[in-house]
Amino acid sequence: MSAFREGGRFPDASTVGIAATLVALPFVLPSVTLASEVLVFSVAALSCAFLLGMVGLLSFGQGLFFGIGAYVSAVLLKDHGLATLPAVAIAAGASAIGAGLIALLAVRRHGVYFVMLTLAFAQMGYFAMLALNHVTGGENGLTGVPRPPLLAGMGALSGSEAIYAFLAVLAFAAYLLVQRVGASPFGSVLRAIRQNEPRAEALGYDVRRFKVAAFALAGLLAGLAGAMHTVFLGFAPPNVIELEMSERLLIMAIIGGAGAPGAAFVGAGFYVVMADWLSTLWPRWLMLIGFLLIAIVLFLRDGLWGGAAAALHRLRGRGHG
Amino acid sequence: MSGQVLVFQLLNGIGIGMIYFLLSVGLTMIFGLMRFVNFAHGALYLVAAYAAYVVSQATGSMLWALLFGPLAAALLAVVAERLLLRHTYAMPHEAQILITFAVALIVQEGVILVFDPLAKNVPVPDFLSGIVFLGPFVYPAYRLAVVAVSAAVAVLLWFALERTRFGAILRAGSESTEMVSLLGIDVHRVFLGAFALGGALAGLAGALAAPLRGVEPFMGLEALGIAFVVVVVGGIGSFTGALLGGLLIGVVQSVMSSLWPEGARLMIYGAMALVLLVRPAGLMGRA
Repeated sequence: MSAFREGGRFPDASTVGIAATLVALPFVLPSVTLASEVLVFSVAALSCAFLLGMVGLLSFGQGLFFGIGAYVSAVLLKDHGLATLPAVAIAAGASAIGAGLIALLAVRRHGVYFVMLTLAFAQMGYFAMLALNHVTGGENGLTGVPRPPLLAGMGALSGSEAIYAFLAVLAFAAYLLVQRVGASPFGSVLRAIRQNEPRAEALGYDVRRFKVAAFALAGLLAGLAGAMHTVFLGFAPPNVIELEMSERLLIMAIIGGAGAPGAAFVGAGFYVVMADWLSTLWPRWLMLIGFLLIAIVLFLRDGLWGGAAAALHRLRGRGHG
Repeated sequence: MSGQVLVFQLLNGIGIGMIYFLLSVGLTMIFGLMRFVNFAHGALYLVAAYAAYVVSQATGSMLWALLFGPLAAALLAVVAERLLLRHTYAMPHEAQILITFAVALIVQEGVILVFDPLAKNVPVPDFLSGIVFLGPFVYPAYRLAVVAVSAAVAVLLWFALERTRFGAILRAGSESTEMVSLLGIDVHRVFLGAFALGGALAGLAGALAAPLRGVEPFMGLEALGIAFVVVVVGGIGSFTGALLGGLLIGVVQSVMSSLWPEGARLMIYGAMALVLLVRPAGLMGRA
């Protein structure tokens, strides 16, 4: 699988590109609501792409942390009367802690065992949600979540444009965070682990601790996305924590390609727009996504982003020749 | 919990546990042999359960369903191996996982396309619909039959693995595929055989489970999660591990369902976390 580029700079041209895309998105897509959905899933897919591209960890469990973020923010907004920004921040923090705790167990196994564990823990999250139905609302989810001001004393968060602007700022912050980590010494160690885990260990790095930290950071991103989802919908439906959510986030990351943080935005955008368009034409469109996934793994290892980059490179090369 | 209820739930747990064993043993066997993780394993269980549903609707006989369910799953496994999976053996694990996961997704959507997303009941066969008196206890005959059939299959499977030529090749292959190949055995045919056998076993699990839980399109995904728990608890690549893991998980789920019904499924994963904490390689796993 592809990986985040060596020694990525921060900020670089892609930072500007993402900022411009975030501004243009609501005008390009048919509705602001659809653009908001793209943002939510971009951040969630970024969580998967970060783990895969930086550390080489394939996670079938990011939906669990997405769900934790969605439920924690819903409970804080609904029952504890918090303002939006602190609720989102606490929800993301809670997901990071949850992810760190699960990682402490999961990093005891390597490779395919680790992947199996992420799937099993994601399934556990769904059953925990059902078991705690007095808090989570069980199969009904948490309805009627209010949208209070960002901070106490500010104006109410109302109108789909204002919500989009808020989500765009959060999505951009998430992008900057991942790009900054990629350019940091911490990021270099993560890449070293991805390339050759025994070697990183032999160099004296405590590989487990780095993996737990990376997993917690990915949990933070997924939790942030989950909280964004609650703010966006005003509702925490039970499907936010189902295993299908984990799968969906991973599919987005793979379609985009794990070669750069921006690829996750491409994958999520592609998936959400396709879902919006195809699901009205053919309810079983996910079958096509299955075939697309096989094609990408077999023929386009670096996803849409990598494919586009390679095509661009070839065009440029021809221009010079 | 009274003694009678406890015995009842223990027996239920053994029944569920044996189904979990059948479900997981193929996954663990294929992994042991070729280091191949099949995320489409749950889809085999799903297809067999629907085949059992169709056959029992058409013929009214659960016995035919028990034959055709495993056959359908084995057929799917063989076709998938021939057309797609054998081209991925040399690829990294991530690629194999994603491709088999995509196959599972395609099968799941295919099932919804042919049927619909709704859950359906599969009737218990007439001659097993009654109850059995076990000394002072009464127990559903079908659940007892599940235990008997799966125990018989487990014994046959053990015998096949330990005492037949094919079993010897499978066991040797999981030590060193290269060596087996050098001895003049066509490993690709062995792989195909392992997929067919693993598929048939997962299929038998699906067909046996159908009257107990009904059928619905997402049961394959749920089964995949359960199979992973079983192999993590039991230790991957081990027949005994799959048996112990399956039984342990089945009994935990069943006993907890009378103590804390909402949390019964949750406790399965609690048991897994506990095993990971004290024995990361699994009960029978080699570190």
